[in-house]
Amino acid sequence: MRRALDRPSVQGAAFLVALLLAWEAASAQGWLRAFAFPPPSRIAEAAVEMVVSGFPEGLRLWTHLLVTVGRILQGFFLAMALAIPLGLVIGRAPVLDAMTAPLVTFARSVATLSLLPLVIVWFGIGELSKVVLIAYGCFWVMLTNTIAAVKYVDPVLVRAARTMDVSGPRLFATVVLPAATPRLLAGARVALGVGFMVIVAAEMIGTIQGLGALIMEARTFYRTDISIVGMLALGLLGIAFTSGLSWLERVLIPWHTGLAGVRR
Amino acid sequence: MNAARRNEAALGAVGAVAVVAAWEAVARSGLVDPAIFPAPSAAIVGALTRLPPGEIAGSVAISLLRIVEGFALGAALGIALALASGWYRIFGNLVRPLVEVLRPIPPLAWIPMAIVWFGLGEPSKVFVIFLGAFFPVLTNAYRGVTGVDPVLIRAAQTMDIGGLRLLVRVVIPAAMPDIATGLRVGWGLSFGVLVAAELIAAESGMGFMIMNARQFGDVGVIVFGILLIGACNLATDWGLALLIRRWLGRWHSV
Amino acid sequence: MALPRAIDAPAAPAKIAISGVTKRYDAAEARPPVLLDVDLDIAENEFVTLIGRSGCGKTTLLNIVAGLVEATSGTVAVDGAPVTGPGRGKGMVFQQHALFPWLTARRNIEFGAKSRGLDPQAAHAEADQLLSLIGLSAYGDKYPNQLSGGMQQRVAIARALALDPHILLMDEPFGALDEITRIEMQDELLRVWQSRRKTVVFVTHSITEALMLSDRIIAMRANPGGIAAEYRIDLPRPRSRADVRLAALHEKLWEHLR
Ligand SMILES: Nc1ncnc2c1ncn2[C@@H]1O[C@H](COP(=O)(O)OP(=O)(O)OP(=O)(O)O)[C@@H](O)[C@H]1O
Ligand SMILES: [Mg+2]
Repeated sequence: MRRALDRPSVQGAAFLVALLLAWEAASAQGWLRAFAFPPPSRIAEAAVEMVVSGFPEGLRLWTHLLVTVGRILQGFFLAMALAIPLGLVIGRAPVLDAMTAPLVTFARSVATLSLLPLVIVWFGIGELSKVVLIAYGCFWVMLTNTIAAVKYVDPVLVRAARTMDVSGPRLFATVVLPAATPRLLAGARVALGVGFMVIVAAEMIGTIQGLGALIMEARTFYRTDISIVGMLALGLLGIAFTSGLSWLERVLIPWHTGLAGVRR
Repeated sequence: MNAARRNEAALGAVGAVAVVAAWEAVARSGLVDPAIFPAPSAAIVGALTRLPPGEIAGSVAISLLRIVEGFALGAALGIALALASGWYRIFGNLVRPLVEVLRPIPPLAWIPMAIVWFGLGEPSKVFVIFLGAFFPVLTNAYRGVTGVDPVLIRAAQTMDIGGLRLLVRVVIPAAMPDIATGLRVGWGLSFGVLVAAELIAAESGMGFMIMNARQFGDVGVIVFGILLIGACNLATDWGLALLIRRWLGRWHSV
Repeated sequence: MALPRAIDAPAAPAKIAISGVTKRYDAAEARPPVLLDVDLDIAENEFVTLIGRSGCGKTTLLNIVAGLVEATSGTVAVDGAPVTGPGRGKGMVFQQHALFPWLTARRNIEFGAKSRGLDPQAAHAEADQLLSLIGLSAYGDKYPNQLSGGMQQRVAIARALALDPHILLMDEPFGALDEITRIEMQDELLRVWQSRRKTVVFVTHSITEALMLSDRIIAMRANPGGIAAEYRIDLPRPRSRADVRLAALHEKLWEHLR
């Protein structure tokens, strides 16, 4: 028992459970209003309800999840497909880089969500608008990261490869691309985060499908328990998406041990 | 400014002018409806004639105020929590899972709960912006604290520096570059969530300005607003970067 | 000159007493421990050098003496009291200079001086003196990343000296220096050691450096790490590099370390 409590993950889980129990108890005592702070048991019930019958009636959690995932993936991959090749070209061509730098900087500063009204005017309130918004946000993040990844490959590595008679496309494939990979992964991770942020706002308009729509819709029906189920589902979705990427990152930087060996 | 930098700036200006000119040309070519795809000049001139300058300045001011409030709260809390959970092992063990549960939830997904908790007034908008700043600052600062080169801590320990002094005099300075990165990302995200925050029953601010313009189908004002928010973000981020360079640039490269 | 330990051990009570120190970084590992059962007594004001192949555990032993790393078993005592942590008069120069990158050279040195309780004015004066000692008076306002590797290492030495510790632990402090500066710094170190009287534990890869500086040289072996042999050098300082007695010792050490 004592051994188990020494494990950090056990401590953390125990603390989390204790918090939930305290929350539940505070609700039962009437210290917390169930509408503003639905107790864990209510949230669990709402989760079951979402899985079994859905909200609004017939739209189960699974449906909302799939709709949201579909929109994010379409926008994300559209952005990747455009940004990575373009970034690789710009990053290797200093003149192009100089010409596009101010534009890229400004476009990235444009808040994606501020495009919402414009996108609605242009593309309506249907699916296309949502995908375009997500793609816009992901595109500029990925583009800047791709450019930087290629541009800042350690010149010593490139020179070392040159001395071994590697050049042209082979240099690109065997040195530049691998050296740029960590940054590309980091960019994809950030882009995904942007996608998750944008989707919620995009789904607030003109749809009742998707997790973003669900959490907004549930509130107007005073079902905050369902809103929280939607939030948690979004969080889990985010974890699922990023864990794949972070696993890759861990493989690439296994030397990062930090403070593990310091006495304090 | 040396020749290479001057060259770069000139190329950048050429690129920017070319794109704006192309946009202007397409909009004026008659191929598209200027009411839906206005030329940049038309959008800006139109917005400036339709909106009194005082109103524009007021929108900018109120939006910036909300961002500064939410950002300051988020940054302060994020740094404090990162230091506590990064340095004090037990505290970190307890808090980390909680953070890991909450962090993946996008800031905008909190909007319904923000309305329930804080109503439709200013606090709920500030809360959403706070969330935008809080998590990036927290994660970056946490990485900074836990990534301090152990040899620096050892060096300080041989000089009898321990406890809180070790945190203040070694760990925090060493984590500063990461904290600075977190602040910049957090600032950017504060702008990112601004429009959504101002969707919450707002009657003021740049986000309201463009959402309101959509009701009237005034694309010129929308385009103007988009550029205005972008420009504010760019200018303030540039200022923040300058401050950070002033502050860390002497010993920390880039 | 390689005498058995029982006779060689200093008569005075040990300043630093290392007894039965064993270190395993990974308990589960099948490899021999990094250090196995190391016994070593170091007398007050003695200058002891550890020499041995890369990876034989010199840094580990120094870290254990400093109190920065815990031994798996065995004890280290300073003045008869067991070492439980860093500080308390044990200055250390690290293999990687370990300067604080956000402080200038001068501020790094003052950091050391202040932590021994000097007020800002006295710390400033001490830093002046140490900067001139290491020949970097003109570089006080530079940050570590604006200094060369050798300059960084000299500032790190000055920072440790600013603590005015009675024990100075030095992990290849001159490793990054050019030959000329290295010899100058060796002379300076001896001067400081003789004027301020300190117990020095010094790590080096250079046999010549060990011979020029030490009262006693500890040759270490690896896998498991431990003491292979020790040599006492009773020659007066300053020593000449050409001394035939040193040349003979050089041969013996070389045999041991090879
Ligand atoms: N923190 C650590 N964790 C695990 N193993 C370690 C650690 N530090 C050192 N070692 C191992 O202990 C052994 C001795 O390392 P140490 O740094 O003490 O050698 P050293 O004699 O100082 O070498 P060098 O002359 O190259 O500096 C090495 O095999 C090394 O891999
Ligand atoms: Mg070593």
